[in-house]
Amino acid sequence: MTEAAIEVENLSFGYGKTPILEQVQVAFPSNRFSVLLGRNGSGKSTLFNIMAGLQKYRHGSVKLMGKERSNMSFSDCARVLGFLPQFHKSVFPFQVKDVVLTGRAAFSAFSPRRSDMEKVGQALEELGISHLAERPYTELSGGEQQLVMIARVLVQNPRIILLDEPTNHLDIYYQTYVLEKLKKLTENNLTVIAIMHDPNMAFLYADHCYFMKDRTVLTPGDTFDYQNGAFLEHVYDVRFTTVQVNDKMVVVPGR
Amino acid sequence: MRNVLTGFLIYGLPIPLLLYSLTVGPSQGLVFADYWDWGRAALHGDIHESSTKVYMLNNIIGNVRLPRVLLTFIIGAGLASSGGALQGIFRNPLVDPYVLGISSGSAFGAALAIAFPLLHINVMAFVLGVASVVMTYSFAFSNNKSSIVAVILSGMIVSGIFTASLTVVQYISDPYKLQAIVQWTMGNLHHASWDKLNTAALPVGIGIVGMYLMRWRLNLLALGEEEAKAVGVNPTADKATLVALATLTTSTSVAAAGVISMYGLFIPHLTRMMVGPDNRKAMPANILFGGSFLVIIDNFSRSLMDFEIPIGIFTMLLGAPFFLFLMKKNKINWV
Repeated sequence: MTEAAIEVENLSFGYGKTPILEQVQVAFPSNRFSVLLGRNGSGKSTLFNIMAGLQKYRHGSVKLMGKERSNMSFSDCARVLGFLPQFHKSVFPFQVKDVVLTGRAAFSAFSPRRSDMEKVGQALEELGISHLAERPYTELSGGEQQLVMIARVLVQNPRIILLDEPTNHLDIYYQTYVLEKLKKLTENNLTVIAIMHDPNMAFLYADHCYFMKDRTVLTPGDTFDYQNGAFLEHVYDVRFTTVQVNDKMVVVPGR
Repeated sequence: MRNVLTGFLIYGLPIPLLLYSLTVGPSQGLVFADYWDWGRAALHGDIHESSTKVYMLNNIIGNVRLPRVLLTFIIGAGLASSGGALQGIFRNPLVDPYVLGISSGSAFGAALAIAFPLLHINVMAFVLGVASVVMTYSFAFSNNKSSIVAVILSGMIVSGIFTASLTVVQYISDPYKLQAIVQWTMGNLHHASWDKLNTAALPVGIGIVGMYLMRWRLNLLALGEEEAKAVGVNPTADKATLVALATLTTSTSVAAAGVISMYGLFIPHLTRMMVGPDNRKAMPANILFGGSFLVIIDNFSRSLMDFEIPIGIFTMLLGAPFFLFLMKKNKINWV
């Protein structure tokens, strides 16, 4: 077992009297691709916002690489963690390289350095989108925009990246493209944690899957236990049939 | 070719334009040779031994036109860069100090200071300018979310409140002060003097330099609040600083020259067409081209007719169709 990149203990959170998270207990292993699944409203996004520091918490503890999240400043946190929010749209037709460059803003206060520009080039290369560098961001397709935003998080050089539904609104080509790239990133000392909705896609690419139900993270018995129909039915309130295709397990929902 | 042209418009135009503008004005009977004589005399520093004509011209240029042209330039630069900054902060291509109600708030503050000498005119204009932008922001935003239309409507309401308050001030002022207030609300540069320039230069300068320094941060803010936090930047402090700088610049301009409507709206669009949306290039373009263009408009306003057309009326007539064009182009959704 590798050490945990993010360790959440006894985390409870709510808006006013409405509880959103109750006694969440989960540890995401470092240098792995972990996926968080669960029904809408189960608390996935809130857990992400708290881990990313967009939301303050009072009860419980969240440790990033062993350090308590609430004791870290914005820029301390930026060195460790990058976050890709769910919706992003730009009003102004910024060029892709300028959008990606803003990922360095936590480190270069008033104007970007030459090394910042180089990092932009590397990130675009790594994701295979160097050809988009000069294009206006607003004219790109949804899949291309998503890759640009991932590049923007990468130029931060974080140890952990959190992605809120990175494959949402993408066609199958871009879904597989994005997931393959994310998996590849874990080979270079990077921990990737994503929220996803399609359990089959998660099973195909993720090293670890975590499920949320009723404001907390469930802990399945062993690694492959969660692929059985009964467990998924408990999570999603939908009946599942498990199918073996070659060496892979696929789950098919149906009543 | 296009790059050469935009480069000239932004960086090459200001100096020759400022020099040319010194020769524009209603004084009759001056020909090119007189300016030539004045220039030679001025260079040699022997104005006082020159002919009366040269001496008079020296007075016109030195005490009337020069402060006016310089004041016009810094006000144009200030309004255009404020407009560019506010469009980025609000992520809304249809805002400027006028649309957000800052101009009307400052105008009310300044009018109060003219009618009842309470506090310094710049201070009053700034305080009311800040009040109006805070009002617009809090009316338009709930839960940190707002639409383009909501911001414009709130700005309109805030603007309305302060315009009405300004009318009350006009109503209870005595006729002499009334005339001063009315002329000045139309946007007027013909009272420009070294005095006015001296009071305006420092605050406008601070505003422009500050916005220039933050031009890259503005790119980040223009992408959105969440996106800034996502890469480890707390946008609130940056936003507040930039809004304060834009308000300082605008309120000082309003105190010096009245309401120059819509100017901060269309210049940033023109410069974006020239150099693209990256504020690292657009901000210096706003400053320099914004300054030059207002000088050009002012040259027309004092030479087209026998009398001066108030510059605020000019910019409104230019800005209004531009606003409508942008509304169509951005396919504003009214529902």
